[in-house]
Amino acid sequence: MANNEIILEAKNIYKSFSGVPVLQDVHFEVRKGEVHALMGENGAGKSTLIKIITGVYSKDAGSIWWEGKEVQVNSYADVQKLGIACIYQELSVEPPLTVAQNVFLGREPRKFGLIDHRKMIKDTEELIARYGFPLKADELVANLGIGLRQLVEILKGLSCDSKLLIMDEPTASLSGKEAESLFEIIEKLRDQGVSIIYISHRLEEVYRLSDRLTVLRNGQNAAVLNHEQIEPRLVIKTMIGKEVDESAGSAKEMRKNNNEVVLDVKNFSDEIGMFKDVSFQAHRGEILGFGGLIGAGRTELMRAIYGIDKHKSGTATLNGVELKYSPKESIKAGFGFVPEDRRNQGFIPLLSTVKNVALTNYDIVKKNGTSISDKDERDMGIRAIKQIDIRPDNPDKEVGLMSGGNQQKVVLGKWIQRDLKVLIVDEPTAGIDVGAKDQIYSILEDLASQGIVVIIVTSDLQELIRVSHRILVMRKGSIIKEFDSGIVTQSMVLEAGSGIVD
Amino acid sequence: MKKLSVKDLSKPIILVAFFLILTILRPSSFLTVGNLGNVLWSVSIYGVMVSGTIFVFLLGGIDLSIGTLCGLTGVTCVMTIRAFGYTPAGVIAGIAAALAVGLIAGLIHGLIITTFRVPAFLVTFATQTIYLGLSMILTNNKILDCTSPALFTSIGKNPVPIILMAVAALISWYVLRKTETGRYVYAVGGNDQAAAISGISVRKITIMAYMISGFTTAIGGIILSSMTQQGMASNGSGYEQYVIMAGVIGGISLLGGEGTVPGAIFGAMIIGLLQNGLNLMSVPSTQHGLVRGLVIIAAVGFDALQRDTKFQSWLAKRRQARAAGKSAA
Repeated sequence: MANNEIILEAKNIYKSFSGVPVLQDVHFEVRKGEVHALMGENGAGKSTLIKIITGVYSKDAGSIWWEGKEVQVNSYADVQKLGIACIYQELSVEPPLTVAQNVFLGREPRKFGLIDHRKMIKDTEELIARYGFPLKADELVANLGIGLRQLVEILKGLSCDSKLLIMDEPTASLSGKEAESLFEIIEKLRDQGVSIIYISHRLEEVYRLSDRLTVLRNGQNAAVLNHEQIEPRLVIKTMIGKEVDESAGSAKEMRKNNNEVVLDVKNFSDEIGMFKDVSFQAHRGEILGFGGLIGAGRTELMRAIYGIDKHKSGTATLNGVELKYSPKESIKAGFGFVPEDRRNQGFIPLLSTVKNVALTNYDIVKKNGTSISDKDERDMGIRAIKQIDIRPDNPDKEVGLMSGGNQQKVVLGKWIQRDLKVLIVDEPTAGIDVGAKDQIYSILEDLASQGIVVIIVTSDLQELIRVSHRILVMRKGSIIKEFDSGIVTQSMVLEAGSGIVD
Repeated sequence: MKKLSVKDLSKPIILVAFFLILTILRPSSFLTVGNLGNVLWSVSIYGVMVSGTIFVFLLGGIDLSIGTLCGLTGVTCVMTIRAFGYTPAGVIAGIAAALAVGLIAGLIHGLIITTFRVPAFLVTFATQTIYLGLSMILTNNKILDCTSPALFTSIGKNPVPIILMAVAALISWYVLRKTETGRYVYAVGGNDQAAAISGISVRKITIMAYMISGFTTAIGGIILSSMTQQGMASNGSGYEQYVIMAGVIGGISLLGGEGTVPGAIFGAMIIGLLQNGLNLMSVPSTQHGLVRGLVIIAAVGFDALQRDTKFQSWLAKRRQARAAGKSAA
């Protein structure tokens, strides 16, 4: 049970990246045997703080104390020695190995220089029994679902006598049932004196599990709340900050337009339930925002409509004609798609602006017989550079060498050369500087005013409210709220996305 | 238009340097029409093959089977000609059969790689021995002579192989530089996910690349069987090394997305000149492998240094410092 003995304390932590302060005078403490939640909006500094605690980043100033002594942590190995284990979202278990082999990976018990399999199995079984995990030591991890794999990862952390577990969005890819059994295990661990730092965007989980909650906002401490003080609306207010919530950019009147329906999606579902029975319509000239938490199924839904991934059932029609659910055919029909993961999916880093812009447009670039008109291709690239102010304006510059904002403009630039009907943009300004953000917003607004449907998926609440004419909020694969009139604030969207529906 | 930089000119400079060195060292024997014709003749097969395999390289793939496929297609060609009684019609049939075998082999590679997502390295490593095995079974591991008709034997005699190399390189250059397909190859090799989202069928492009590689390998096999006037299972074995070497020396990135046909042909030329130089200077053949390896390392290292931004900025700083030192003095 939680007592007041402090196991980990980070004092007066400062950190900045290339001059931009990310953490300022942050204080964070975890008691022995407590579940301590860490919350904050995207970019509030949660992951930076955790990376400093686990030795991945160095801090600019401040100190870290472990069991009452100041410690220097310079690598994850240092941290492990102290007894801290981090369970990442991307699991690091090896599917071809058994549970026991995974738990003891790299530090297998040995006998006469050989791996002592019997002892390894026995020790793993003891661990499993001690924490009551539904696992078998000699089971292959490949046969386990994602939820149980996560337990293997946790077991691995516990096997090093860890006193503190850090869990980053542990339920992001779990089903409801899997999440429930994880919660039981977390509670069991706490009762055995293990401390847990629990990072999540999901308020109801935090409410259920945590003894205390630290909220970060803009790289600073916003509040530390005890369990009885954790009240969803208060938490949201603390995360967003009053002064921000009342400023111009964070509340806006929604207005549904009554133009004809361009895109009509009916009962869209996928195989694994990332989105279930989703229906919505988008009207000519509308900017339709999709809000919700990360993992709510928005990205998956958009990818399936556009045709990158498969869906199981449901239809999507564009001006009455059903889509063929392949990127090539969707582009022909008038779609554009700006993916969430710009670096890996957005552009071809080795190619120039000209060739990246032309990539989807060889049906409209002039040709002499089979050969592409270099001049026409180049003119298109130069036109894109002028239209949306891509910098540097050298059309031969490799896009991989540009800044994030300009890379994103190149990605957008290739779509605006076409006769678009629908443009889907997923997290269009992630990691982009403020100036470029504004430019991208005005591009989107300009496209909508030309009658194009713009669908924007974003986790940045301010952006969602600022850009959208109408907002749909998704949660666990379903659209649970529509804002199509009246004033909408960030808190209203966040409350809907977190499952606190009026 | 784009300005030419030192990087663009480095390859012609190296080629000229090679020429000058060999001309100075062996003035009477190197710079003769006969010798230069020999050099081109000896690299023609690599030149033809790399013109097709470059498609695979640009996708970030690799084709290790081209050496033994070169043998198998040669055997196919010779056996068909023999079956037709050494007639010109047999030569046409033999060429067609060899090209078909090359295309089918490429199709199989492409299908396995895209369907089962097996690394190209493993697939072509396996088919490498399969093709050698097939050739051995077909020939009963014997040498099959084929010294006529003239239509066949002329394929391997100058200037035909050189012309074939030029044509293959030209077509390949045209497709990669001037057509939509070429743009898609660079895009898929540079970032396949982004290419797929841009509506490009990664699978189609991949299968096509391996088929082109198989096709030019078959042309190489036909030339080789004509040059040697025989079909033999082990003919062409190890050629994949020379083709990869030509590509790498020519600045093709084996990670995909980067490289040009002129570069690859340049690479083949360097291999030929190097071999010729070693022969002319009577370097014992036992030492050739060592020298070739060192040249590859030098070429790749040189290329890496040109790309390395740290090295480049260090170089720029040094230049600045030197300029500052001069003005101070």
